[in-house]
Order: sequence, then C-alpha cells, then structure tokens
Amino acid sequence: MGPLYPQELINPEYNLLIGFFIGIGFGFILEAAGFTNTRKLAGVFYGYDATVIKVFFTAAITALIGLFILHNMGVIDVTLTFYPKTFWIPTLIGGAIMGLGFIIGGFCPGTSLSAAATGKIDAWAFISGVLIGIFGFIFTYDSLWEALRKTGKLGKVDIAQWLGIKEGLFIFLLVIVTVVAFVVFQKWQNSWTNKMDASDLDDLGL
Amino acid sequence: MKRREFLIIGLLVLGGFVSIFLNDIKPLPKIIGAKSLLHEVNEQGRYISTDEVARMIMENDPSLLLIDVRSPEEFKKYSIQGALNIPSDKLLKGNNKDYFNQDAYTIVLYSNGSSAADQAWLMLASYGYKGNKVMKGGLNAWYKNILNPQKPENDKLTATLEKQYLFRKGAQIFFTGIQVSGTSSGKSKAKAPSKPIIKHKKKEVTGGCG
Repeated sequence: MGPLYPQELINPEYNLLIGFFIGIGFGFILEAAGFTNTRKLAGVFYGYDATVIKVFFTAAITALIGLFILHNMGVIDVTLTFYPKTFWIPTLIGGAIMGLGFIIGGFCPGTSLSAAATGKIDAWAFISGVLIGIFGFIFTYDSLWEALRKTGKLGKVDIAQWLGIKEGLFIFLLVIVTVVAFVVFQKWQNSWTNKMDASDLDDLGL
Repeated sequence: MKRREFLIIGLLVLGGFVSIFLNDIKPLPKIIGAKSLLHEVNEQGRYISTDEVARMIMENDPSLLLIDVRSPEEFKKYSIQGALNIPSDKLLKGNNKDYFNQDAYTIVLYSNGSSAADQAWLMLASYGYKGNKVMKGGLNAWYKNILNPQKPENDKLTATLEKQYLFRKGAQIFFTGIQVSGTSSGKSKAKAPSKPIIKHKKKEVTGGCG
C-alpha cells in the first residue's frame, strides 16, 4: 500500500499537508519534552541530562521496528523510501560542526523552531545563524565544496548486509545496545545530579 | 528508573525480538502509479487476435498460457482447449501469483467479451505484472471468427480476407473436431499446462513506450 507519495497514491498538495501536520506534532512533542530549554540539549554534552539521547534513540528505534514489521505485513514498501548515499568524511565534518552548534546554541534545528514559536529570543538568533549557514553553503556548494563533497564515498550503506547477518537480528542487537546505553547514560546523569543542590537543578530547569 | 521507562524499554525489546523472526527487506509487488497505468491502458499492444491464439494452439506453441477469467461454471460449459481457469477474483490469491511471476509463458487472458479480461489485465498491470495479453473480443469473437467463420461476400473478397477465411475454416475443423455426431461444443480439452516453476520476475520494460 504505502508509501503514498512515491507511488502517486496522493497528490503533492496532500503530501505537503500531511507533512505540515506531522511537523506540528513533532514541534508539540519537542516542547512537551522540554527541548525548547537550551540547557536540556546542552546537558547531553555535559552529562547532566540524557533526555535528548533517550527521546531521539527511542524515536529512531521505534520507527525502525515499526517500518520493519509493517514492511513484512505488506503495508509499506520500505525499498521505495529514500535514503541517501554515504560519504563518510563530509558526514563526519558536518556532524562535528552540527554538534558544536548544539553545544554553543543549545538547540538543534527542530527545537530552535519550537523555541522560537514559544517566544525565546535566543532561538530567533539561532535560526538566523542556521539560515546564514544554509545560504552560505548553497552559494558555495559548487565553488568551494566540490572536492570535499565527493570524498569518502561508500555508496548506499546497509550495516546488516555488511555484517552479513539478518536484518531482524541486527535490529534486535541495536535495541539491546540502545537499552544498555540508556542505563549507562542514566547512571551518568544520576552521578551528576546527585552532586548538585536544589538551586542548581532549579537553575538548569530540570 | 520509573515504571514508564521500563514499559518503553520492554516494548522496544519485544519489537526487536519479534524482528528476528521476520524476513529481510525485499521490494514488495509494486502498485503502479496512476499516470503510468493510464499509459499502459491506452497501449493497444495488450490485445491479441483470436486468429493468433488459434494459430498458437494449432501449432502447439509451448509458450502459450491461456487463462480463462470467467467463473468455474462458465468454464465447465465451454472453454478453449488448453485453457486454465482462474476467475478474476482469485487472480492474485494464493499460489496463482506464480503464474504471472515468470517470463517463460505468454499469458493470454480471455472472458466472454473483452471487458472482464481487460479488468483482470488491469489488475495484474497495477501490481506490476507486465507483458500479459488479452484476447480481443473474447469468446464472442472466438465463436464468430474461429468456430463459425462466415465466408466474406464476394465483392469484398480480397486476397488477405480469403487467406484469413481459409485459415479460420481450417481452425474451425481443428477446434470443433471432425466428429461424426457433428457437435460443435469442442469438449475435448487438452491438458492444462502444469504450473511454471521458473519464478523470474517479468523484465521491466526499458525505454520506449513502457
């Protein structure tokens, strides 16, 4: 049956409309989880708050299991969905820049928009920076980054295939790794917050 | 950790555990988009004439796989010899898909007229099974052209028409059988071809008018 748009089962207009509502839902959840608070996101890097990691990993794993089961039930054809080819060097550099932006600004692009909607001025400043970065990259896309963009080409990467194991088994292993990471992060977070007193925690908005 | 966190972790682990027993991701049978389907429908190449079908049967063409999409009752009353009965609503059920999931046979669908076979063809096309044919005019045309061909009027008789008529007359004898009783029901059915084992997907048409 699905995906709807690549199979021309819905119009581009409906596609955008569905995206719009999913976007609103996403923003709502970000706000509800407290991600519009910059200290929450920066906390991942300092070790006093693991919420962001937990939420995003849970979302990714849920989507992974959900899509895998739905594909096996014949509801959605995952092979028709888009995923890009991997160029590991530019990905690493981009990831580092983005991580740096997370620490400095305390937002990721999604949470900055949610925070801006709640009226936070630092979020507007963050969005300006994001736009400068986007347009700066667009206008120098061909002139400056041509060589870097093509380094470290790996093609379409499938880790399960690369390891030579069944995809379902890989998903299970990933779930186990994630759960272990959750517990470790939680312990780390607890060891931090135990050292803080009430006024510190209040200050961080935890 | 809170109870809620245990619940979420439990669900994730359960989902991951279930995943172990599921198959790897492979492309599902495609549902073709409206545009390309419309293109396919307008393409007249799916039609095959009754004469061509008759010729293939008479020459014992092993690549022909005739499929009767009518109901089993109608099939029992009359069917073209060698035809297999798969009613429209059972085309994609169970193992029937295997007939279409190969490229060893030329599949020709027929019904009483053209429309039921056309619908069956459309259903197959929308699931990505390409290269199937529809017998133009169905059994009505079959009766008119093959079982009971009329001699063209003399003033309209051209060499081509005469050749066609002679062929049809030959086909009439072949299909109705030169029987003493003179029945024209043609009940002697050849054995239906066994289910093809080759399961190659029909090749995607590349370039040109798909």
